[in-house]
Amino acid sequence: MTPEKFRALVSAVLIIGVAVSAALIGAGFVAALAVGWQGSLAGAAAATAPTTDFSNLPGRLAVLEPAAITQLGLVTLLATPVARVAASVGGFVLERDRLYAAITLAVLLILLTSIFVLR
Amino acid sequence: MTPQADLGVFAISLAAGLIGALAGVGGGILVIPALTIVFGVDIHLAIGASIVSVIATSSGAAAAYVRDRMTDMRVGMFLELATTTGAVCGALISAIVAPAFLYVLLGVVLLGSAAMHVSRMGEETPPPDPPSAMARRLRLESSYPDRKLGREVPYSARRIPLGFVLMWIAGVVSGLLGIGSGVLKVLAMDGAMRLPMKVSSATSNFMIGVTAAASAGIYLGRGDVDPQVAAPVALGVLAGALIGARLLHHISNRTVRLVFLPVLVAVGVETIGRGLGFGV
Repeated sequence: MTPEKFRALVSAVLIIGVAVSAALIGAGFVAALAVGWQGSLAGAAAATAPTTDFSNLPGRLAVLEPAAITQLGLVTLLATPVARVAASVGGFVLERDRLYAAITLAVLLILLTSIFVLR
Repeated sequence: MTPQADLGVFAISLAAGLIGALAGVGGGILVIPALTIVFGVDIHLAIGASIVSVIATSSGAAAAYVRDRMTDMRVGMFLELATTTGAVCGALISAIVAPAFLYVLLGVVLLGSAAMHVSRMGEETPPPDPPSAMARRLRLESSYPDRKLGREVPYSARRIPLGFVLMWIAGVVSGLLGIGSGVLKVLAMDGAMRLPMKVSSATSNFMIGVTAAASAGIYLGRGDVDPQVAAPVALGVLAGALIGARLLHHISNRTVRLVFLPVLVAVGVETIGRGLGFGV
């Protein structure tokens, strides 16, 4: 993989992450103007959990709750740097740069450990 | 929040994203006081929104900086090894260390660094010394296209062990205090490793998202991220970061230093204030 393609790959991961999350966050925001953050675009009963509660995302997305749509966007945004590091591991492997493939893999493992273990 | 407040938060976040993209910081220094003081948002929700703001600035700006060869990805990944390890250490010792003293210490260090930063104010690019053996071995030498100067500017990292240690400390500090991670990264790359200011800023921008992502899950689980607050912040910061990433090409390294200086002083003063018990 050429350095240009590598940069294009990492840049594309960031652009897609940012675009998808901005679209979801914006869609939830606009929907909230119509039916309120805890309302439902599908006509279901209003949610009782506070908008800071990220649990049961699939169920709340199914009834198109504005808070849930924005929450999915926020989770996508928070996952974007992790996806960027993962893509960089692949990039360095394809560039046959063993040193940096190892460094980036170590960063990815530390990152995943701190997200899923230290809480 | 009312639509008027949403618009106000969006506008301030846009400014935070713009300044953050230029200075290589996350914009929490602007977002947190604005949310708490102007809009009466709870401090925990404001900090949760600032984590979102850091990741939005980082991803939005870095998307352009990586493509435009402003971010040095090898420098970034090498130093992320130090910041992520440091952040884990910081989180682990946070239960046994009294942070008040550390806040004051960090603030004093930042204000001291501001004085050194002023002394470099007139420098456009670092002196072009030949790369060290270590910089060559670690491939921490490259060049970036400077559209303002109209030429390719070569550079190589100096004092790599010092830079690595400073980055580890930046990681510990962000894991422990949750503040100042961007300014410390820029200082380590510009001041210690003598990378060009724009490369330092763009590479710091690339890195801060990873540092913030490491702790984002904790804030999310604690209920500190509220879509009602985070949505206008995220959208405003993203818009600001995209504008800032374009603007960087049209200004000189000296101007980037000029944008960075007040941010550095503000973070220093705010950090000391927090340590002494009257911060936001």
